[in-house]
Amino acid sequence: MTYTFQFGIVLDKLDLLLEGAWLTIRLAFTAMVIGLLVAVICAYLRTAGSPPVRALIGTYVEGIRNTPFLVQLYIIFFSLPSIGIRFDANDAALVAMAVNFGAYATEIVRAGVQSVPVGQIEVGFALGLKRLQIYRLIVLFPALKAVFPALASQFILLLLGSSVVSAISANELTAIANTLQSTTFRAFEVYIVVTIMYLGIAVAFRGLFALTYWYVFVRGRMG
Amino acid sequence: MTRMILRLLAAAGVVLLGLTISMGQAGAQALDRILKEKKIRITAEVTSPPFGMLDKDNQPTGSEIETARQLAKDLGVELELVQVTGPQRIPALLSERADLAISSLSITTERAKTVWFASPHGALSIVIGGTKNVNIRSAADLAGKKIGMTRATLEEQVVPKVAPAGTNIVLFDEHAATQQALLSGQVDAIAGAAFLINELAKRNPDKAIETKFTVMTAFYAIAVKPGNLDLLQWVNTWVFVNKHNGVLGKIYEEQTGVKLVDLPTL
Repeated sequence: MTYTFQFGIVLDKLDLLLEGAWLTIRLAFTAMVIGLLVAVICAYLRTAGSPPVRALIGTYVEGIRNTPFLVQLYIIFFSLPSIGIRFDANDAALVAMAVNFGAYATEIVRAGVQSVPVGQIEVGFALGLKRLQIYRLIVLFPALKAVFPALASQFILLLLGSSVVSAISANELTAIANTLQSTTFRAFEVYIVVTIMYLGIAVAFRGLFALTYWYVFVRGRMG
Repeated sequence: MTRMILRLLAAAGVVLLGLTISMGQAGAQALDRILKEKKIRITAEVTSPPFGMLDKDNQPTGSEIETARQLAKDLGVELELVQVTGPQRIPALLSERADLAISSLSITTERAKTVWFASPHGALSIVIGGTKNVNIRSAADLAGKKIGMTRATLEEQVVPKVAPAGTNIVLFDEHAATQQALLSGQVDAIAGAAFLINELAKRNPDKAIETKFTVMTAFYAIAVKPGNLDLLQWVNTWVFVNKHNGVLGKIYEEQTGVKLVDLPTL
């Protein structure tokens, strides 16, 4: 079986692939920011809220974490229009990714919140602070510091999982790769190049997270 | 020490020789291998009615799958259907997961760069389909609209060429997603084989889907991996014989409801 690799055919279209990669990065980053906001709020509601609120957040979190991302994506893109909510492909992808990341991040942040020593919270009450103030001023910072690596890993999963949104025609990297493969039939070359691109993006983000961790949590706090 | 190295080199040489001999034989002896193993592997795309679909017992059927069954019977070997999606038809052939691709592959010069086509055994037409309230009468009306289609199909190659600037081509990985996009209103119209669009319209009478205009007609054929000349020759002979004894026409008409047109020879 002879097969001559022809990477030139793929590298000719590098500009298209880079466009797709840029959308992947934007989608993942925006989804992370929104998801993190959702997570911080939901983690508070789940630990300090009233029982009905806890149940509601619990339903959201368990519902998302126990169903496939692709199915959630299809519901948002194909099923919601029948009740009048219509997103175009890239928006639907963002909504699905943010909702999905929010659920997983809620659990991660909640774990961090529960890891803060109870004594610190008691001090807050003793000082006359209200629940929300305690959360914001005493609990959140150590909680996020404790779970930062887990959040970073979840973000990388989000980034790589974004390849699934090509199924609803969002024009990110995997979609561009699929189109390229279906027109040139060079499956090997296309997917090897795209794998290297995903690897590069993921490694770059890990470096970014390491820098962020040092800047926010470590700098000026030694000793 | 030198004897060890010499032994290792000899062993490596034998292995390499064996590999080249077996690799050299693989391409030119596809038909012999199929006859020896008494099994032929043919692609089956079951999400593309009436060419390939699942019947009420969830068994593969359709004009292309019945054609594959007839071919295997005439060759006297067992048939193994390799299930593929649209974009996987040619890659399955090239990576040798299948010996033949019989999945309504329309003959195009683009595809001919990577596969070898036999003489055509069927015809289809590509149309634009949409709901009644969308106003499209010709290619010019496509401007400013979202037109959905499946990757690695004839329409993906052809429609962007006839569509005017300002048309938004939206690509999906499989027919099911393309059709769902039309049904949920996420695209204004879709491009696809006339049979598929008619089937979609029939199954969803409340959506009032209609054919807007025909983009082109094409012949489709069986494809083999480049190099399998003996297999290609046999397939061409088989198509010739069954064209003239009416078997191909019968299968086509049974499944599509349309009489088979005169087929040219490649």
